[in-house]
Amino acid sequence: MIAEAPSSKKILTKGNYAIAQAAINAGCECYFGYPITPQSEIGEFMSGKMQELGRAYVSAESELAAMNMVIGACSTGAKAMTSSSSCAVSLMQEALSYATSDELPVVLISVMRGGPGLGNIYPSQGDYFQATKGGGNGDYRLIVLAPSTVQECVDLTYKAFYLAHKYKNPTVLLADGLLGQMMEPVEFKEYPYPEIDNSSWALTGAKGRDGRVIRSYAPLAENQCVFLEKLFAKYKAIEENETEWEEIGTEDADVILVSFGSTSRNVKTAMKLCREKGIKAGFFRPITLFPFPSKRLSELASKTKKMISVEVNMGQMINDVRLAVNGKIPVELINKPVGAPPAPEEIVTRIEELI
Amino acid sequence: MEKNFIIAGFGGQGVLLAGEVLATAFMLAGKKVTWYPSYGAEMRGGTVNCEVVASDEEVSAVNKLNTDFIVALNQASFDRFLKKIKKGGVMIANSSLVKELKSRADIDYLFSPITKLAEELGNIKMANILALGVLAKASKMVSLDNLIEALDRVLPPHRKNLLPLNIKALKIGYEYDLLPAGA
Amino acid sequence: MTTQVFKIPESLRENVKYSFCPGCDHGVAVRLVAEVLDEMELKEKSILVASIGCSVTLYDFLNVDSIEAPHGRALAEATGVKRARPDKFVFTYQGDGDFASIGLAESLHAALRGENVSAICINNTTYGMTGGQLGPTTLLGQVTTTSPTGRNLEYYGYPVKIAEHVALCDGTAFSARVSLDSVANIRKAKQAIKKAFEVQRQGLGFGFVEILSTCPTNWKMSPSKAHERVRNEMMKTYVSGVYKDVTSGEQAHIMRPSFV
Repeated sequence: MIAEAPSSKKILTKGNYAIAQAAINAGCECYFGYPITPQSEIGEFMSGKMQELGRAYVSAESELAAMNMVIGACSTGAKAMTSSSSCAVSLMQEALSYATSDELPVVLISVMRGGPGLGNIYPSQGDYFQATKGGGNGDYRLIVLAPSTVQECVDLTYKAFYLAHKYKNPTVLLADGLLGQMMEPVEFKEYPYPEIDNSSWALTGAKGRDGRVIRSYAPLAENQCVFLEKLFAKYKAIEENETEWEEIGTEDADVILVSFGSTSRNVKTAMKLCREKGIKAGFFRPITLFPFPSKRLSELASKTKKMISVEVNMGQMINDVRLAVNGKIPVELINKPVGAPPAPEEIVTRIEELI
Repeated sequence: MEKNFIIAGFGGQGVLLAGEVLATAFMLAGKKVTWYPSYGAEMRGGTVNCEVVASDEEVSAVNKLNTDFIVALNQASFDRFLKKIKKGGVMIANSSLVKELKSRADIDYLFSPITKLAEELGNIKMANILALGVLAKASKMVSLDNLIEALDRVLPPHRKNLLPLNIKALKIGYEYDLLPAGA
Repeated sequence: MTTQVFKIPESLRENVKYSFCPGCDHGVAVRLVAEVLDEMELKEKSILVASIGCSVTLYDFLNVDSIEAPHGRALAEATGVKRARPDKFVFTYQGDGDFASIGLAESLHAALRGENVSAICINNTTYGMTGGQLGPTTLLGQVTTTSPTGRNLEYYGYPVKIAEHVALCDGTAFSARVSLDSVANIRKAKQAIKKAFEVQRQGLGFGFVEILSTCPTNWKMSPSKAHERVRNEMMKTYVSGVYKDVTSGEQAHIMRPSFV
């Protein structure tokens, strides 16, 4: 007999397709994009589905144009997105800076590959800085969500649309080539969030009112001061309300392994292997990279002896872990420059070297 | 209980599809499962491969050091993955294209003339699915019914006409008389 | 009984501090746009995409919903606005540097796709806001702050003829070049703007008007001398006229969903 019951609602699908279908379920009205490996399936899927549904799809002439098209669509209050990867997300940095200043609900799916420069198409976490610190000008933050499973690709895509509109702030789903290409059973539940009323700011045509202006140009210094104070009050609220993480075995841990995204899967297994060997290891996974769960890490720093940041890059998130810990305990790095995450056994060996 | 499988072969032998069918069958059997393609220089070279991890609990780790089952459809895959097999693991090799050498005493070898059997069936492209039949029998991890249902789900609409042939290939592989090494 | 023969267009904001230099043609161009918006009753369904350069503050003048695009990206944003809301009237107002230098890819691709939007481009042969540097439209021989001995081919290459390039795009429904150096030409300019807006209303594709304009400050000329330069020098390289008009029936054309 074919087993239906436990899995009948689930389908096996790639991270990239899961993200695209989730965006459609979330009510994404417009997709603008330019192909780049390892996320091209998102645009391919969207090109067919959006036309089928009578929604907007444009094969943009560049990532530069694509992100600006998203801004244009978002200015009308529409749910709009683009997707890209590393070197091409670099081309969007100017527009992301504008979009934070314009306070527009832009959604960007960033599927990381190796860098710098053209790099290669293998998985990487080398764009942690790009996503959380940004390459655009001025004081701004992007909300950054980091999935670690294909199911989370769905759930956090839903959340990305919700948070972008709730806070009128560009939001990034930061996946990587491994998650994009990986297949796992997923369930597409309905979009679980309320729709946000945007009637107070969206451009709809100045009918019976004066024209609204969405702008970032502030000729007077005092206006810019007021604006930035307001913007950062919003970021504070996001930090208080939306910070999310997963932790296992941290209460009695001598060493806490901190890791995000696909890499965290192997780190979780490594933590269990450590426990089997008698090493009291804990596991901590930031799900929101901005806001970063600094407060919780700071609390944990008072209870544990050491933290180790495990990353597939040359060490980026470790900076935020160190800031959170603020010198209370040592913070070490276990890394692999690029590629699929190190095997759990390899991680354990290196943990043993460090403790 | 967690087991992992690598299916490897030439580009064009359908190893990614075979992996997807296997992963879907595990999903239908109510297991947790993850499928991912290989990442490495070999992607543009001789072999293509994918790994499937199936478990009763959440599948966490990927890109594992060692593997329970390898299906090697060509010599290059056999040579490359032999050392990756866990002690007590199984190497299933396509003896139509792979030399029957047994250099490791701590694993089982299953040599089946997969390409030849597919040719006899009338379509050499069925080799990947035929190999899944061999794997299903050897691993005792996945049922033929789940694999058949998986095939029905995975084959795209324009290939649905090949479903009966695929099912036949699966059964031929499953029923092929295996002689484990050392037996 | 009195008859009103002149009034401020309703599409202009009231009591706005005028920020353009004396003798600059931006003021005339903005007024023409406002008059056309009034006459075509587009104000309440308009979304303007403003650009970077002297045109940046256009939203201070036009009383329509507006968004300000990064430098050169106005037509990418306009594409996003129009695709999201095909029932709105969407137009850009850009300078030559914005449209034809940093934004050439976005501009021509919008035209090539036949985006159902309208674009106004002010050509004053210089980067005005930053102090009169050489731009894509700077004439051969023209002295600017970055071509101190005049534009020569060896260092700077040729200027771009925007309206002609836009007309070459299959998705363009209307492309014209006009000037504002005389009352007659101002009237022609208004007709061209109207046509560029009308093709959008009819869903025919990309509508474009290049407006030759003065920059007395950076040209270091009086307003009247500046208009003489438009006539005697600019119009020799940048010849006025309609370069494409699909409503004249010369070619079949794609149709886009639009407002009525």
